[in-house]
Amino acid sequence: MSWVPIALFGAVFVALLAGYPVALTLAGVSLLFALVGIATGHFFAGDLGFLSGRLFGVLTNPSLIAVPLFVFMGVVLERTRLAENLLRGLTRALGGRPGGLGFAVLAVGALLAASTGIVGATVVTMGLLALPVMLKQGYRESLATGTLAATGTLGQIIPPSIALVLLGDVLGNAYQQAQLSQGVLAPKTVSVGDLFAGALLPGLVLVGLYGLYLLWIAWRHEDWAPGGEADLKIRGEADLKIRGEADLKIRGEADLKIRGEADLDLTGEADLGLRGEASLVVNKASAAEPSLVLSLVAPLVLMVAVLGSILGGVATPTEAAGVGAIGALALALMTGSLSLGVLRDVSLSTARTTAMVFFVLIGASLFSLVFRGYGGDELVQSVFTDMPGGAMGALAVVMLVVFLLGFMLDFIEITFVVVPIVGPVLLAMGLDPVWLGVLLAVNLQTSFLTPPFGFALFYLRGVTPDHVATTTIYRGVIPFVLMQLLLIVILLAFPKLATWLPNLIYG
Amino acid sequence: MTRAIDAFVRGLGTASALLTAVMVAVTVLVVVLRYLFGTGAIALQEVVVYAHACVIAFGLAYTLQTNGHVRVDLVYARLSTRTQRIIDLLGHLLFLLPVSAALLYLSFDYVAASWRIKEASPEVGGLPAIYLLKTLIPISAALLLLQGLALIARIIGQLISGDFGTAASATNDRPGAEL
Repeated sequence: MSWVPIALFGAVFVALLAGYPVALTLAGVSLLFALVGIATGHFFAGDLGFLSGRLFGVLTNPSLIAVPLFVFMGVVLERTRLAENLLRGLTRALGGRPGGLGFAVLAVGALLAASTGIVGATVVTMGLLALPVMLKQGYRESLATGTLAATGTLGQIIPPSIALVLLGDVLGNAYQQAQLSQGVLAPKTVSVGDLFAGALLPGLVLVGLYGLYLLWIAWRHEDWAPGGEADLKIRGEADLKIRGEADLKIRGEADLKIRGEADLDLTGEADLGLRGEASLVVNKASAAEPSLVLSLVAPLVLMVAVLGSILGGVATPTEAAGVGAIGALALALMTGSLSLGVLRDVSLSTARTTAMVFFVLIGASLFSLVFRGYGGDELVQSVFTDMPGGAMGALAVVMLVVFLLGFMLDFIEITFVVVPIVGPVLLAMGLDPVWLGVLLAVNLQTSFLTPPFGFALFYLRGVTPDHVATTTIYRGVIPFVLMQLLLIVILLAFPKLATWLPNLIYG
Repeated sequence: MTRAIDAFVRGLGTASALLTAVMVAVTVLVVVLRYLFGTGAIALQEVVVYAHACVIAFGLAYTLQTNGHVRVDLVYARLSTRTQRIIDLLGHLLFLLPVSAALLYLSFDYVAASWRIKEASPEVGGLPAIYLLKTLIPISAALLLLQGLALIARIIGQLISGDFGTAASATNDRPGAEL
């Protein structure tokens, strides 16, 4: 009956494609397999008895309590429109230089990555905000869309991401199992904090690679990413003739002659001698929108505080998530976007996302119970141990499978279904759990970006004007996919990039 | 009847959702107590665990009602509303009802054993109500079962009348998209 686990996996996969909710499909198909097995005497009914204990473990798992707290933080940040203000501010500050808009998008993506962690949301938000500006300013369509898709997926890999919380917990269990199976009585542990620390440097390297690429574009292909308005600084006298729009800031005295319409924005005193008609709008420094400093510094402080307190060993990831959520609420209060109604919306949105994540975990628990009951883990183990190439060969196969599954399934499903099956075997072969986790995370992120099936591309297509061809988007992400692959190669060649920081912190 | 079930599940779901804010507040309180006053607070930590379990247990059925559970919608999104509803109906009948019934059945002994000894927290100073916490498992299964029946009744009504105009499950309203 060794084919049954394979049939189960295949049946689940096919059933998932029908589009019924993942959690129930996982649980339902597995239950049907178990019932048929019980009826025909191939499945031990007592195995299902473990389910309640498993579910209780899921509900009370202390490290997964970080999930609703991080989601809460993310939803609050989203409601405060922090990302939008930051993007607008940076666009205004950097947009003048070639490639500047690209950098603004990259910075926002990297900074706020952690606050969402769900691919679709980031891509859609940033696409709606930044894409029209980039296209209007004359960015090459492929470059603009590629940059957006890629930076939108950064939330998977840059801590504190929800994806890493889930992966850290699952890998922790797999690591224990791997060591117990080898007769290690006092197993070492790996935690969510370890994975955060492990993912930090690779995440920064990735942001660095993206940045270098944008720099190179700005240097070699300025017309792909042109700067916007000119930024002139004139000392002494000058005789300027401006056609079209201009944004003038004048310090000291000036003698302005304006023909036609003009939109004057005066801060401080001014002495206007007006001839003919004039319509004056005097804007005080617009106070409605929080300043760039606030919108840049606030999320930075929040991220550093959350991440710093985890990596510094001051707080558990769960506690840090709670503190982060309070910090986000404080920010919302400062920007005046907090009310009881907003708080209720945030709670509801958080609860729904939490229920969604944990339902998949519940479905996956039933799946893995049945998969094991049919001897699936022994099957996986024997396949991997017989494979040529040892641990590295097995890793290569897993990476490929995960990459392909990433076209169909989201991070949550792959983490809960695939990692518990292959994780213990790979770790028992001696792979480092943090390294494996970071590799898997980068691999999935790459998968979400890769044409033609990558998740991020679908979401981006949804918010891209029709005149931009889908193939243009595909062309645009290819350089970013190559940089992702480069990061995987770097990680394979230098595992220390992932393992150095956690070892330093946690010993 | 289906409306009554919807309202009941919605009431529990929206009320328990507020516990997420409680989780945030209590988590921070635990941290503050530890660093400012040097006291551990096992009971408070367990309050967060209990709140968390309630959010999930009561949220599962509500999220099902509001179509918030993640789907693989590569194919599904391109199907007609009628085909989508038929897939949902088959899924409810083949997966949802059996799974929630099995959960209810399988968790019965587990929970009963806990009630018999009025199981309390293994931690000193913890909350004495593990048996209530465990009872959330059959409760959430029962809510799913109930909500499933309501959804099935609604889809059958829609298939008969040919009118699929309800907003409740017309689109894949993934909560992730709100983030």
